[in-house]
Amino acid sequence: MTYVITAPCVADYSCVEVCPVDCISPEPDDSDFQDAEQMYINPEICIDCAACVDACPVLAIYEDVDLPKRWQHYARINRNYFTNKNRTGGVE
Amino acid sequence: MALKNTDYSVKYRRAESSVLTEQPKVVFGACPHDCPDGCSMLYKVKEGRLLKVNGNPDQPFTRGRLCVKLKDFAQHHYNPDRVLYPLRRSGPKGSGEFVRISWDEALDEIKQRWQKLIEDFGAETILPYGYAGNMGLLNGMNSGDAFFNKLGTTISEKTFCGSSAVTSQLMTIGPALGTDPESFLQSKFILIWGGNTVSTNSHLWPFIASAQKDGAKVVVIDPYRSRTAKLADWHIAPKPGTDGALALALINLIVENDWLDQDYVDQYTQGFDDLKAVAAAFSADKAENITGIKAEEINRLAYEYANTQPSVIRVGIGLERHPNGGQAIRAIDCLPALIGAWRHAGGGLLQMPVFVPVRGEFLSRPDWIKEDTRVVNLSNLADTLTNDELNPAINALFIWNANPVSKLPNANKAVEGLLREDLFTVVSEQFITDTALYADLILPATMAAEHNDIVTSWGHFYITMNQKAIDPPGETVSNFELFQRLAERFGFDDPRFTKTDKEILAEALDWDAPLLQGRSFKMLEENGFIRINVPEKSISRPHAEGNFPTPSGKCEFRSSLDTSSGFVAPVLRQMLAGRQTGRPIDSVPNYILDDQCQDKNECSDKTLPLHLISPKSHAFLNSQYANEAHKLRKQEQQFVLISPADADARQISEGDSVRIFNQLGEVGANARVTTDVSNGTVVATFGYWPGRNLLNGSVNALTKSQIPGFAGTPYYNDTLVEIEKLPKEAIRIRDKKQ
Repeated sequence: MTYVITAPCVADYSCVEVCPVDCISPEPDDSDFQDAEQMYINPEICIDCAACVDACPVLAIYEDVDLPKRWQHYARINRNYFTNKNRTGGVE
Repeated sequence: MALKNTDYSVKYRRAESSVLTEQPKVVFGACPHDCPDGCSMLYKVKEGRLLKVNGNPDQPFTRGRLCVKLKDFAQHHYNPDRVLYPLRRSGPKGSGEFVRISWDEALDEIKQRWQKLIEDFGAETILPYGYAGNMGLLNGMNSGDAFFNKLGTTISEKTFCGSSAVTSQLMTIGPALGTDPESFLQSKFILIWGGNTVSTNSHLWPFIASAQKDGAKVVVIDPYRSRTAKLADWHIAPKPGTDGALALALINLIVENDWLDQDYVDQYTQGFDDLKAVAAAFSADKAENITGIKAEEINRLAYEYANTQPSVIRVGIGLERHPNGGQAIRAIDCLPALIGAWRHAGGGLLQMPVFVPVRGEFLSRPDWIKEDTRVVNLSNLADTLTNDELNPAINALFIWNANPVSKLPNANKAVEGLLREDLFTVVSEQFITDTALYADLILPATMAAEHNDIVTSWGHFYITMNQKAIDPPGETVSNFELFQRLAERFGFDDPRFTKTDKEILAEALDWDAPLLQGRSFKMLEENGFIRINVPEKSISRPHAEGNFPTPSGKCEFRSSLDTSSGFVAPVLRQMLAGRQTGRPIDSVPNYILDDQCQDKNECSDKTLPLHLISPKSHAFLNSQYANEAHKLRKQEQQFVLISPADADARQISEGDSVRIFNQLGEVGANARVTTDVSNGTVVATFGYWPGRNLLNGSVNALTKSQIPGFAGTPYYNDTLVEIEKLPKEAIRIRDKKQ
């Protein structure tokens, strides 16, 4: 149970600023921050508060159970970002 | 470290710029629900329609966020299933057949039926059944008190939740607020005992997560690996109901190893020798036998808790729902004083910060209660409605703010009572719930944006204003107006029943009390919330030098409260303070081995080998929102967590439909086979509407309904069951609407 960031994301950081539990990455200290094409939500930490949805300027964030069909696979993309990050100790 | 400065103003600028025509009107809201977080909200209204409900970014604790339940609160108001007009039953009880009638007809029928019953049996034949479906001072649990106290009906004791926690706290540290949740930022050791913060107290979690990033250790004690336990540094999983033995073992280890703050104990506590004597019987080895937690782990917990300051305990309400639960909380409440945790900002204990100066006597008018009026505990509605020997029998039931068929212990027997032809049942509701199905009359009730109220919190130090934002739809009325209409029908002309909602609200709090010094109703209206008059969070050390509001002024390991007939807080019994009717409560915390089961025959009954606990559902608020399609998608069908070994032994695989049952009933669920639970324990969250269950059942219906001992809390987490695979042909969902 989580929110998911999808294709329209422009990585403008609005969601990161409002997330109360810092579950959206990459953050400025992360090595991949500068080149990030989109932001990702860590499903293990998200508390379902929806603050990021209202902050997103391009309506890119959906609740997992309400993902549009064409972006269903973004739940996996978001999750994988963190799985890979944990495995490599940071996304290079 | 402070919480990061989340700039919520960004989203408001964006929302406003998108409205090119008329700007929406914004008024203050207060979340009306039975949740410790009590959010301050903003209702955005345009042309009489509620557009959006947001969190109020100015409130320092809730910080502009809502939660999974409330994120689409505006739409909830426009749910097409809402009851908008009074309804009268037109088919057999429970058939769901109703016809629309007018308010006049409904009120006339209530008056005529009740008057006849009062003539025949006396007013005690009427039982009010209201609870926490709304938490407002005007529309909440006590909204019917003044009317029913005046009418002289049976007094209802409402101890479903939090009653043991409140009594335990009153006996130990008195009516204190405890540790400011915002000061958790300074804590170095945070112990969450019997609570799932992420799901049920989610606005506290960012404070805990921030402290954790800053090096605090977060420990969760819970029989299963909850969402919160998964985020903790350390999860300790005792067998259900054994928390008291664990707490006494911690006390014993702290005493034995001299990890005490002896100076604090000497100056600010009472009954140390008594507590020490009880705890001495609980060695770590003995506690291991009882709790299933390794003695070594218990030792480590005691050491780290006692020697890492500031340490704070957040006591949840999960552990109270067991015969040993009340005394377990008493033992836990003693811990911070033993180690002097109260000396530190960010140290101590947060349990039930409910003791704000509400004028209960003014709102509930207990002075109208006639001497010897009967008190009935609502937890046992099942037996109350079906007991032939009750004199007078309950012949009329008035239910509001509650859905007992979904949540009551032994609900199947309660339904037998609700089916009695001679029982006249009135239900005030927003929806036709499983309970309203059995009503003779249904009265349409408002939602939060449709009325005025003030909401106090049981999780933070703010009081919140709720302003009417839109007109009530159809002929819905607030609970406040409902009881005013009833009072008028019965000819009650006391000003308590004739003043307007705003007039009563202005008087509902004791503005002269120290905790409200410098605050006013006007400030509350203008600001949307006010912080109680306590020191700023960063320096808040309420009991650094004792100052406990107990009879002795000390933390009372041995309580001074008269608990010879039990003790339920007056606010839970229409503000009646005297005539307690419970079992005696020992003045020193204890743990009774025999209370592992309520019934010894049942303990040895090998046909019910699994211990069921039923926490709150992540996406529901008790039973509210369990009829919303979005929340059901989020929460998914009723499920049960079962360990791989227990599942294997029953040939149950992941996703199988199963039947959970005991002598009181059955409930259907989908099996989730997981190591998140230990062997012998199963977890099924409550709140689902029975009509939509695979077997028309509810989890709580499997709980026994006998009147519990400690402060009346039902033993929801002391339920023994068996589970078996459910063949497809046995599935029978009554209400297929999902």
